Amino acid sequence: MLAAAQGGSEVAFSRLWRDGNPALLRYLRVIAPEAAEDVAAETWLQVVRRLAGFHGDEQGWRAWLFTTARRRAVDEARRRSRRPEKPLEETLPGQWPVSPDAADLALQNIGARSAMALVAQLPAHQAEVILLRVVAGLDTQTVARLVGRSPGAVRVAAHRGLRRMAAILTEAGVTL
Amino acid sequence: MLNSLWPSRRAVPVIGDASLAALLAGAELPAGSAPELRPLVEALAGLRDQPVSDELEGEAGALAAFRNQLGVPNTARQRSAQTPPSRFRPRPVRAAAVAVAMVLGLGGIATAAYAGALPSSLQRLAHDIVGAPAPGTGPAVRPSWASPAARGHRAYGLCTAWAHGTHKQQAVAFRELAAAADGRGNVSAYCATVAHPGTSPSHRPAPAPDRTGRPGGLPTPHGSGRPGGLPTPHGSGKPTGLPAPNSTSAPTAHPTGGPYRHL
Repeated sequence: MLAAAQGGSEVAFSRLWRDGNPALLRYLRVIAPEAAEDVAAETWLQVVRRLAGFHGDEQGWRAWLFTTARRRAVDEARRRSRRPEKPLEETLPGQWPVSPDAADLALQNIGARSAMALVAQLPAHQAEVILLRVVAGLDTQTVARLVGRSPGAVRVAAHRGLRRMAAILTEAGVTL
Repeated sequence: MLNSLWPSRRAVPVIGDASLAALLAGAELPAGSAPELRPLVEALAGLRDQPVSDELEGEAGALAAFRNQLGVPNTARQRSAQTPPSRFRPRPVRAAAVAVAMVLGLGGIATAAYAGALPSSLQRLAHDIVGAPAPGTGPAVRPSWASPAARGHRAYGLCTAWAHGTHKQQAVAFRELAAAADGRGNVSAYCATVAHPGTSPSHRPAPAPDRTGRPGGLPTPHGSGRPGGLPTPHGSGKPTGLPAPNSTSAPTAHPTGGPYRHL
């Protein structure tokens, strides 16, 4: 699929996009909640520009995609911190719930939105690491390189985050 | 499956590292794991769940960008026969666009010049140098996108700034374009329909590729001169020690198709 997209196949690229964009947005909505869509669109633009020169397997592709997204998100955060005033539309609450309440979690299955709301409760670095592991499907080593921490620190953050998620669920009385 | 929602507090289950590692890797829980883990298992499954509606918005924009850069549009052959000289038209503009951005060197100014929003003397200069709209030809504020003239000049300028500018110029242009394109995900598609101001969109709708497959009259993203395969976006600042993708291409120790439940 990757090679076909690099060769110019629109169908193949569409598959890559459909596979990658939901995961990208789930990640960005937690690490860059005010600009997730912008950053995702910019990420794809940049990826498209460099796609022809990319070498790597599927894991490498995903690592590249999320690395690009993370750097874009960092740029965006930097830009916003220099210009604190925000257009009104960007200060309106997004469609993404910031905190899960019992109603969010009391679903037949915990769907993507409730699960995301749950992760958004975690400290930022724990949330990021869990999303990169679970949603992006990256292994510990790759995540460690991506976030600039040691693999051990990544593992600890992920485990703490999961334990906290379990505690929140238990507090909310969710049993399945 | 949820069968109860208790308001009372419950004991938080103690979860071992092995279970957590398995959950992170997407594996099934080891046999005999505590049933209290089910909610967490479900939550992680939720993270991997199928896309929800708004997560698949914006594909058209990404595809348009892809087409611009790598794709082979269906209409390529017909167009190349009709408009052979078209590709020569935007090239000087493209080069000059980068030049003026470097000359002016100030984030928003080049963008403003393309958008026709500079004071008239400066706008005249920009017009002479890069073919930005002449003073008076474009509204300085809140452009009317309904006006074909404004749309042509201004949109082309913004698309150029977005495709070629610095991060800041791109960001400024992107916001304007998102408003004009009726959504952030539509910007690429929108720009793909914006012809060079010197040409009528009705005569030469973009993307209009020439024989080389290069879209004519369009502000295509440059960047082909950059070494491929490296994920480092320019100006991104802090190096995170991230892998160049080609360095991670260990022989696929990656048996599963991917982490997503829907695949």
